[in-house]
Amino acid sequence: MSRIEIQEMDFSYTANEPILKKLSLTLDERSTAIIGQNGAGKTTFVKLLKGLLRPTQGKILFNENDIKSMTVAQISKYIGLVFQNPNDQIFKNKVIEEVMFGPLNIGMSELEARRHSQQALTMVGLQDSEGENPYDMGLSERKLIAIASILAMDTDVVIFDEPTIAQDYKAKEKIKEIVRTLKSEGKTVLTIIHDMDFVAECFERTIVFAQGSILLDGATKEVFAEKEKLQQAYLEPPHVTQLCNSLGYEEVFLTVEDFVSHIKQNRENQS
Amino acid sequence: MKSISLYQDKNTPVHKLDPLSKILYIVVANLIPVLLGNRIATMAFILISIVILTIGRVLKRTAPMLGFSGLVLITVVIIQGIFRQGNATPVLTLGSVVFYKEGLLFALNITLNVINILMSFSILVLTTKPSDMVETFVRLGLSPKIGYVMSSVFQIIPQMTETMATITDAQRSRGMETEGKLITRLKAFFPLISPVVMNSLITTRERAIALEVRGFDSTQKKSFLSELKKTRSDQIFKAALILVFILSLVGRVLMWLK
Amino acid sequence: MAKIVVEHLKYRYPLTEELVLKDISFTIEPGEFIGIIGENNAGKSTLCQALVGIIPNFYKGAYGGKILIDEIEVAKQNVSDICRKVGIVFQNPFNQVTGSKLTVYEEIGFGLENMGLPRNEMIERIDYSLRLLDIYKYKDRNPFDLSGGQMQRMAIASIIAMRPEVIILDEPTSQLDPQGSDEVFRAVQSLSHEGITIIMVEHKMEKIAAYSDRIMLLQDGQIAAFDTPQKIFSMDDLDRYGVNAPAFTRICKSLNIKDEKTGCYPVTLKEAEDALSLSGKGGLRV
Repeated sequence: MSRIEIQEMDFSYTANEPILKKLSLTLDERSTAIIGQNGAGKTTFVKLLKGLLRPTQGKILFNENDIKSMTVAQISKYIGLVFQNPNDQIFKNKVIEEVMFGPLNIGMSELEARRHSQQALTMVGLQDSEGENPYDMGLSERKLIAIASILAMDTDVVIFDEPTIAQDYKAKEKIKEIVRTLKSEGKTVLTIIHDMDFVAECFERTIVFAQGSILLDGATKEVFAEKEKLQQAYLEPPHVTQLCNSLGYEEVFLTVEDFVSHIKQNRENQS
Repeated sequence: MKSISLYQDKNTPVHKLDPLSKILYIVVANLIPVLLGNRIATMAFILISIVILTIGRVLKRTAPMLGFSGLVLITVVIIQGIFRQGNATPVLTLGSVVFYKEGLLFALNITLNVINILMSFSILVLTTKPSDMVETFVRLGLSPKIGYVMSSVFQIIPQMTETMATITDAQRSRGMETEGKLITRLKAFFPLISPVVMNSLITTRERAIALEVRGFDSTQKKSFLSELKKTRSDQIFKAALILVFILSLVGRVLMWLK
Repeated sequence: MAKIVVEHLKYRYPLTEELVLKDISFTIEPGEFIGIIGENNAGKSTLCQALVGIIPNFYKGAYGGKILIDEIEVAKQNVSDICRKVGIVFQNPFNQVTGSKLTVYEEIGFGLENMGLPRNEMIERIDYSLRLLDIYKYKDRNPFDLSGGQMQRMAIASIIAMRPEVIILDEPTSQLDPQGSDEVFRAVQSLSHEGITIIMVEHKMEKIAAYSDRIMLLQDGQIAAFDTPQKIFSMDDLDRYGVNAPAFTRICKSLNIKDEKTGCYPVTLKEAEDALSLSGKGGLRV
């Protein structure tokens, strides 16, 4: 189990335009979704965790160690980030070589790197495409290759940047499975995402970013119960929650299964 | 908004001049001194350019360009002043180094001509929107497609640099080192260059399709959204330039006949 | 108003062996709002590009069958001519910005300049499009200084200014945040109210169910079904087509609650709300 502690962190590119203001929070073993409008500071936050940007004030501690003293390459042994656009990273002409790039960079032996890469490819369902050229495959598959290339690095923390964009139903189910598997392996999973239904089904904790600060932070159910604050951040709750709100329910239901079992329970109780 | 043009957006009479007027100025300002073979003409035009640049409030922006060419010109002065063939009359002696009059005068001519060219071009570059310049050429008959390529370069290249930054972040994020020994940096070349090229190809293709569905390939004669503003100042300015040019031509012929 | 007729459309990309579109036939009436859904690689984008003539004119490849828009055969026209009848908006707002114009206003005029329209008509059309898409206040900004949602609305405005009778949108909200996504859906709805035929590819089932008159379900290059949203999402075997019904439909399917008016399961929030209240099976505290 790893812990990332952010202490009173500020960040800005120029002196008069603060992007993140006095952020303090702790990321623990709960799978966490970060939601909010574009421009609220989510991507900046994640880049700071990776050391790609450095805070202007405040600290980031990974398992009690200040990451200030670590280089980006060193941090990438522990914290992995799957970027949004696979075309921004793919450069090898064999899938397996692409996936092995990260592991080899962080010091794994050729054998270890290959083993981890094959495991990662199996996790994303591309185990039979080792020798193919990534650019012969569709965008959806390339996104899975990008995910595999980070999973193969076997980091303690895995961060996803918008994993569900342009993905169809089957691919989203696969990604849900990956998140659950990572969680069961004891890894910290973090994601930036716009799909509220996906968040409701997969993530234990939700943090709402708005204008560089944290508006809401807590168990997903509690966060989606805060109707006014969500509206403030131009967000809507998951569709199931919306339906329950309009039907007049006080209790918050996040998923189809939750709501249906509640109703069936009620029917049984009534009869 | 990023752009790689040097254009300064201000509201001055110079900015309002038609790009063609400014191009005519460049031709006249550089041709007349050649016609008259006279250093005074060159200096006069440099002065006129400075005045125009001041009216356009962009004089300060010529400083970096002048600074850089200044360095180059100093080397010309030194080399010509000392080593030019035919140097005979010493003018300045610094220790064992002798500067000759003939070489220095030659270097002075070069310097004045270079500064004249730079200043007259600066008027065009610093006070004309690239899109206006391109539109002028397209109105004169340049293919609109080439015109598009020229105009879009100014904005699309800075956008590409953003993509390059993201690609660098993505690869560093996978443990790739970009700093240090030369061999480290060379190893970083392919992981960076490959996605940049692929990205550009994909982006370009998508953009090409987006352009096609907006009639880019149409054989129809293109019209223009912006109005062609031919102001009085344009006419006066051009007339003045042409007048001066004709006078110089006459002057040259007279000199030749003498 | 243009009627779209597709007859036995087949297509294979160059240097490939499999057909991406395998014998597609359908008709779309003027003014309809058609949603296209299906798993990735089902041929949705290919179909969209074929309707505008980009396939086969841009991509070449092997093409069979006919697409007739207002009785004009699309494949036989230049894209630059057919674009006056049919417009298309793509997923990535950035790659639809020409880059050669410095203001949103001029950007929208790009297509109109290519059409050779007189100046006062261009101004009229640009103003109309700016207001319809609610981006008039951004008209003097640089196109690259807009947010994703604003940029996508500018792309739609640029196409609308050319006054097509049909507009195709290929996953236009997929790269946008929830607010941007909403802005685009609202914009598309106002287009629909103007009488323009809309064809939209989407993965957001709840949204596409609410806006479409009919939905086309594609799989493996063929039409699996083409019917009202209610009928499509009430199908039992949606799973094998790689799509998921809207959350509201899934709830009602599990509880076996149908909409009395349509005889199918509810597909929108309103339909579900009504059906659940009516059935009294909601067990709710009102």
